[in-house]
Amino acid sequence: MKEKPKVYALTTCPYCKRTKRFLEDHKIAYDCTDVDLLDDAKQDEVLDEIEKLTGKRSFPVVIIGKEIIVGHDEDKLRKALKL
Amino acid sequence: MNGRQLERVYCPVCQAKFRFVEGWKEGSVVICPICGQKLRMKRSSDGWVGDRPEKGTEKEIRERVDEYARLHGYVFKDMKEELIQGLLGKNRRFGDFYCPCRMEHVGEYMCPCKPTRGGDVDRDGKCYCGLFWKKA
Repeated sequence: MKEKPKVYALTTCPYCKRTKRFLEDHKIAYDCTDVDLLDDAKQDEVLDEIEKLTGKRSFPVVIIGKEIIVGHDEDKLRKALKL
Repeated sequence: MNGRQLERVYCPVCQAKFRFVEGWKEGSVVICPICGQKLRMKRSSDGWVGDRPEKGTEKEIRERVDEYARLHGYVFKDMKEELIQGLLGKNRRFGDFYCPCRMEHVGEYMCPCKPTRGGDVDRDGKCYCGLFWKKA
């Protein structure tokens, strides 16, 4: 895989936790931003980016190459990661 | 007309007022019929308000969600415990039991959030985070 998957998550969201666990269980290295822990300015910037990409503020968001997966969806993750 | 029949009680969780029931008095413990919060009745200069006797505790949020589900006939699914942990995390980090799956930490997203109280579960089958589900 060229680029590491990018995950946008909330620390309190159990679906985000499941997505992170899924990637870890499959030994997939990924970059993660816990959006709720960012300072206000950075948070606004990241939320704008998420809204531009997905059209909403819903978590988790996983970016794998050109694929953007919103919500915890193991089938989509498997497909995008070719597992 | 008995003036007391028109009295209402303010709930600090759902930030709404509900009808005062004859017989309630200062110190009475009641359940908010809108959000399921347990409240201790208190007289203030603005009328009756409910205090949160176990504010910020795990007991408070567990009782509130159970009461809310009971009041509306909703059920929980296998994510319940993880979502409760998320609510506890919100309280630790952001000061109250805001929806664990939302970014915003504002009163209207205190669990059960305003969209849920507005009928999301009946319309969509579940609330935003999937804590409350319509009975199949």
